[in-house]
Amino acid sequence: MREKTGGDWKTRFLAVVKYELLWNIRKKKFIGVITLAFTLATLSLVLPVALSNMSGGELEANPEYVISTGAGIGGLGMFLFAVVMVMNSISGEFESGTIVPLLTKPVSRTTVFLGKLLAAFITLLSAYASLFIYMTVGGWIIYGPQNDLYLLPLSLLGTIISTLVWMAIVLAIGTISKSSLLAALGTFGIFMALTISSPIISFFTNQAWIMHYLPGSGAYGLIQIQTEIQGVPVIKSISALTGTDSIAANLVNYARYPSANVTFYSLSSNPLEPITEPLSFILLRSLAVASAYIIGFLFAAWYFFKRTQVLE
Amino acid sequence: MKHAIETVGLTKRYGSLTAVNKLDLKVEHGTVHGFLGPNGAGKTTTIKILMGLLRPDEGTIKILDREIRGDTPEARLKVGYMPELPRFPKHLKGWELLDIYGKMYGMTTQQRGEQIPKLLEMVGLKGREKDLIGKYSKGMQQRLGIAQALLNEPELVILDEPSLGLDPVGMVEVRELVREIAKEGRTVFLSSHLLFEVEQVCTHITIIHKGVALASDTIQNIYSKLSGSSTLHVELATPSDIIVEALKKLSFVSDVTPDGNMLTIELKTNDDVRPQISQEITKLGGVIVSMNLKGQTLEDVFMQLITKTGGEK
Repeated sequence: MREKTGGDWKTRFLAVVKYELLWNIRKKKFIGVITLAFTLATLSLVLPVALSNMSGGELEANPEYVISTGAGIGGLGMFLFAVVMVMNSISGEFESGTIVPLLTKPVSRTTVFLGKLLAAFITLLSAYASLFIYMTVGGWIIYGPQNDLYLLPLSLLGTIISTLVWMAIVLAIGTISKSSLLAALGTFGIFMALTISSPIISFFTNQAWIMHYLPGSGAYGLIQIQTEIQGVPVIKSISALTGTDSIAANLVNYARYPSANVTFYSLSSNPLEPITEPLSFILLRSLAVASAYIIGFLFAAWYFFKRTQVLE
Repeated sequence: MKHAIETVGLTKRYGSLTAVNKLDLKVEHGTVHGFLGPNGAGKTTTIKILMGLLRPDEGTIKILDREIRGDTPEARLKVGYMPELPRFPKHLKGWELLDIYGKMYGMTTQQRGEQIPKLLEMVGLKGREKDLIGKYSKGMQQRLGIAQALLNEPELVILDEPSLGLDPVGMVEVRELVREIAKEGRTVFLSSHLLFEVEQVCTHITIIHKGVALASDTIQNIYSKLSGSSTLHVELATPSDIIVEALKKLSFVSDVTPDGNMLTIELKTNDDVRPQISQEITKLGGVIVSMNLKGQTLEDVFMQLITKTGGEK
């Protein structure tokens, strides 16, 4: 019999990462959502060109296109990526029975959990980075030289943090219910409920602050920047959202305008009452809220995974 | 190390149902130990507890001298396990799966490079290792299950219903494989409801029913303890009343029924007493044409035990 060394924790952890990575990149769902994301990105680049050609006009240069668009992934896009990445990471293993041979190897459940998480993160990072590069190159070709491209990694980081919030929710529901369907539908229910309820809460209750603390887009506001156009001072308005889905945009805006304030309007009061908060505060709050959700839901997922029994 | 597996008072309940009830299981090192019981007896539940997939409500477990408490991955380093009807990720290729599992066991690249082709050849999957597991039949997945259970050259191999889903040829191959593993000095703990399978490959058995261990010993001892009787059919060249009467007087004979040249001798023991019978007949001038000892089969012992406990199979 062979002398057993058992290897180190890192070797076993990387084995789990490889196991999961191969699954992620071979999933039909993942290939589908990547194809969809690139198709939509292509359309968003090409359609304005086609429309301007049809109208006989010339497309104007827009040096802000790439930095304001990022990877072109909105709240729904991040939600879809999150669902596809982790909806069956753990629950799928229980449903198919593949969890049995996996958990009977000399790897702890914590190692399996962390390995799966890292694999999902790597896959997500690769997918988003590819989209960012694609949009940057496309934006440069179509709209000319772009401003502040050095801020793109910050935008990528923000997009990943926002997606991690949804991933943590999907993973927690999937692990607790051991059902991929419930993981996807449950999170979709939360996403839809928040999307629909946000404007209602904002309009009817004057309690927009609640939305700062819920996953999703958050409350709507405006950043007003004093700038100059052809030597004439003007005030430029940039839309801003306060929720966990808007961390990327807020990071970029903060890097560009560190002392900016965000103004909200209380829609139900008459006359409209503006509420102003510093962008730095909004950014820090959304990062703290996102971190709390990520840590809370991942901890719940890990705890249930560690405790769960394999009955089937 | 005396016991590869040792449980004391192992108990597992699912609500009001007690699946495993105060099970004291001892599997000696270097033996092929059959874990026998009808469907729903608690075999798979016991094995899942041993492998850390289920938590026991009571009792202690030791595997290869290491006490198992909660998630104990180190205890699985020297254990190979094949689950009942194993399922593997369909997105992986057979070779990839074994390579990844090998890394989880801490095997080096060289060790995996040597071991994986050997195992694929042994289980008859050579040539299919680069196919996705999703394309494998149930039988092929079963074979892959055996390969992954032997990947780390384990000291203890736990096989849960290894023949389930295999065709007759596959079943014979599994039995051969178990014998091969045992020859290498490893302990095999084999759960099965196939009595002939256990009888053919195991040295020891534990019979479990409704979560309770009914008997646990070597197969021979279980026969002796439980059956205690057997039948010997003797064909003589010519019938002889003297021989019949003389045989009836032997201490281990309970009855002799002559039928022409044929004698049916009921024995009080399950031991092999053919030499003594043969000697007695020859001493009285008889000529033996044939002799056939029919002891109780494992099936008889099994049914006897199950019936005693009032359960249906």
